[in-house]
Amino acid sequence: MSTTRHLVNRRRRLATVAATAPSERTPATGAPAPAEDRAAVTEAPAEPGTEPGTAEAGEAGEPPAPTRLPTRLPRLRFRLPAALCAATVLLGAFAAWAFTSAASLREDPTRQNTALTDISRTSEVKGQITEAVGAVFSYTYASPGKSDQAARKYLTGKAVQQHQDMLAEVRAQAPKQKLVLTTTVTESGVELLDGDRARLLVFADQSNTRTGKEEETTYAAAMFAVDAVRSEGTWRIAAIDTFTR
Amino acid sequence: MARVRTTRNPLVVAAVVLTVAAAGAAGWGGWSRYDAAHDDAAAYAEARDDALAAGEQAVQNMNTLDHAHLEKGLDSWEASTTGDLHRQLVDGREAFVKQIETAKTVSTAKVLSGAVTELDDRAGKAGVMVALRVTVSAPEGEPAVKENRMLGQLTRTSEGWKLSALGQAPVGNTAG
Repeated sequence: MSTTRHLVNRRRRLATVAATAPSERTPATGAPAPAEDRAAVTEAPAEPGTEPGTAEAGEAGEPPAPTRLPTRLPRLRFRLPAALCAATVLLGAFAAWAFTSAASLREDPTRQNTALTDISRTSEVKGQITEAVGAVFSYTYASPGKSDQAARKYLTGKAVQQHQDMLAEVRAQAPKQKLVLTTTVTESGVELLDGDRARLLVFADQSNTRTGKEEETTYAAAMFAVDAVRSEGTWRIAAIDTFTR
Repeated sequence: MARVRTTRNPLVVAAVVLTVAAAGAAGWGGWSRYDAAHDDAAAYAEARDDALAAGEQAVQNMNTLDHAHLEKGLDSWEASTTGDLHRQLVDGREAFVKQIETAKTVSTAKVLSGAVTELDDRAGKAGVMVALRVTVSAPEGEPAVKENRMLGQLTRTSEGWKLSALGQAPVGNTAG
């Protein structure tokens, strides 16, 4: 340990000399000289005014020990690691804050929701759900199988049963009244889009035509929200929220 | 030279290594934070959510009115709107006050769901659709509940997004 410190001291001195009086001598990087070194450290404070040149002369070839150095050295020895520690703590704290802050920014629900920000996905889900709603909520007494086919194609999960329940009455009356139910989406908006999940608000018009003896058409306004999931490139309706109380 | 003298003390070496590592982490973290904060899509998403929140609130305000607190309600209508819609409300206020004072109705609205249909962040224009349930109570009889499909246009002002147009989605003309 002491050898290392001496060497360090020696090199410090040399460095300072090289900086203060570069013309006077070329810095030597010789072997450690413990005895001389200790002498330099202890004797230096006794001669505060000594020039680097005089110190060299008095010690017979010993590298010069500038007088202000020894007093500065012990402080520097503790100061440097302390400064490094302080810098490490500060930089580390900043890094921790920056990463945490960046993560919380990225995890913000606002950003997770890519409705409208992801233009192609937004129009994709809007287009496919518009088509799906039109298909599953349209019914012709002449070909009831078409609606079932649409349901299989566009519905999944909870929506299958919901759709069954919603169309139950239409199915029951359709053959007798020769019903034709047509649903057209007039307006749709993506509330949420997060990867393969989406929620859309849908405004639709439903025309219900009884093609019995007298043709009669009634229009109804519908509004509901659908949860959509995407699998294999196709969006399907997973749940229908009709805002019932 | 400075490097030479510090490398001999293992403590200092360790401290230097740690400091450099910390500086690296700080640089990376700073970049990551900057990148996250200056994301264009994020700014657009924020504008979208701001517009939706303002739109839903404004639509709700516009469908809420208590004859007992008429002035307050109409002030809120005017505060929620801008442009032509605002002008219409200001111009029609007196007549409307008389009408409501006679009818003595209380309307309350609840936003069921809402979505932004279009957003031009630069121009400060947005379109919203809101599913709304409105309950109107008259002094006599049962309160009437209706569900309204509202379509609104928003314009960004210095005080945030405000309604510049509002109406119900038309029924019947597109179907069949």
